Amino acid sequence: MEPRFVELLSGFLPFLDGQELTPESTLSELGLDSMHSIDLLFAIEDTFGVPLPDEDLNDTTFATAGSLWSAVQAARKAEADGGSAGAVAAA
Amino acid sequence: MSAPAAPAAAARSGATDAAATPRSLADRARLVADVAAEHAERTDQEAEFPVQALDAMRESGLLGLLVPVEYGGLGGSLGDLLDASLRIGRADMSAAMIFAMHCQQAAAVVKHGSPDLREELLPDLAAGRVYLASVTTEAGKGGHLLSAESELTSDSDSDQGLLAIDRFAPIVTGGAYADGFLITLRSPGATSPTQVSLVYARRDQLRITGSGDWQPMGMRASHSIALQLEGKVPGHQVVGEHGKFSRIATEVFGPLAHLGWSACWLGTASGALSRVLGLLRSPAGRKRFDLSSELLLTRLSSARQRLDTVHALLCHTEEVVSSSGDLSTPRNQLLLNALKITAAEQCHAAVNDLVDAVGLRHGYLKDSPTGLERALRDLRSAALNYSNDRLHLADGRLALLDPEVRLV
Repeated sequence: MEPRFVELLSGFLPFLDGQELTPESTLSELGLDSMHSIDLLFAIEDTFGVPLPDEDLNDTTFATAGSLWSAVQAARKAEADGGSAGAVAAA
Repeated sequence: MSAPAAPAAAARSGATDAAATPRSLADRARLVADVAAEHAERTDQEAEFPVQALDAMRESGLLGLLVPVEYGGLGGSLGDLLDASLRIGRADMSAAMIFAMHCQQAAAVVKHGSPDLREELLPDLAAGRVYLASVTTEAGKGGHLLSAESELTSDSDSDQGLLAIDRFAPIVTGGAYADGFLITLRSPGATSPTQVSLVYARRDQLRITGSGDWQPMGMRASHSIALQLEGKVPGHQVVGEHGKFSRIATEVFGPLAHLGWSACWLGTASGALSRVLGLLRSPAGRKRFDLSSELLLTRLSSARQRLDTVHALLCHTEEVVSSSGDLSTPRNQLLLNALKITAAEQCHAAVNDLVDAVGLRHGYLKDSPTGLERALRDLRSAALNYSNDRLHLADGRLALLDPEVRLV
């Protein structure tokens, strides 16, 4: 996971309390709730310049730091490959 | 709701004497509704738990509606649950909610219970020996389902892995009459309040102290009192994995709560409309009311329209829940919340319309055979029960997550 992703995500985890964030870290246990998931999503879009596709917006994607990072990477790859993932953000 | 007849399983159930005779689900629900109706005026007046209606649920096999046939249950579907809730709700909303919430708890055990717990508990549920109450509220968390303050503690040295429960619950429907409880607690060793476990405890495993009086506006027979629960249970009574209650909430508690409550509310409003129509069409009613009054006709139409709207949404949501793999997606969550909000608003509004339609004598007095007075008080709770205001806040955020507006 890129350091800037870890730093961004850590800001949404009130119970991280200085623990190391690993790909296995469970986000809900660290205090990410559905009310703040939307803010996290916007922060990811701002930082990485890609929106997560609608089909990734579920509990599985937001389960762990690693699953969320995978979704971000997939979205970046899709964007780089000339996919239409940006269309939603522009809409 | 799509299966009009009883599940085939019902005929094979030998769980209780009553269930040994093949009976349709509709018969069982009608039996419970009739008993509930007989006692509803008194249990409402006295704010007493509907013991007779619960006994009828036990004897009819309905407490084991969602328990698979191999455990002696009726093996009923989600649609069966909604049909039965709707039917009982026509007679008494408190009894219907007690039933629907019990089934929600039973479904969690069926789907997420450990093999040992299922072997122990499901036959008792099927036989009607166990009525389950839900303990998910906690003082100070504002009704938030997915966090817990009281911790489940594990003392493996002295208690052979027993888990200790010590928990105050400000509002437990039927808590004084339940045979067992499903309780949310912070997981052993949890580092945050969002690591929540769900644990089953039998009444005889707990020291229970009731406190406080129950004197609400409506839903008076639901007897929802404050309880202090203390006791120890073995590890296999944890339902699902430690700390993973949110999964049960998404897959079982959330959808069954919104669907089940909505069915109860629709039942109550349908029963109210039916009794009003019965009154209007009776010989005395036709003398008393001008059935050609455009105002009256419009009000009847409006009430019926509201109920058809809720019914359609209920059926559609049931279908989505029954066929959808992942209920955590924004559009599925939005639909489930829309059902709850709409049913709460429209069922109350329909009965409110009917009060205007029939006026003071039959709309406002307790002793009218229309029962509108009690139905309206009961339905007033619907918007507050997991508050519509809070759901709208969640839905606003969820709407932002679905910019394409892909309706399900």
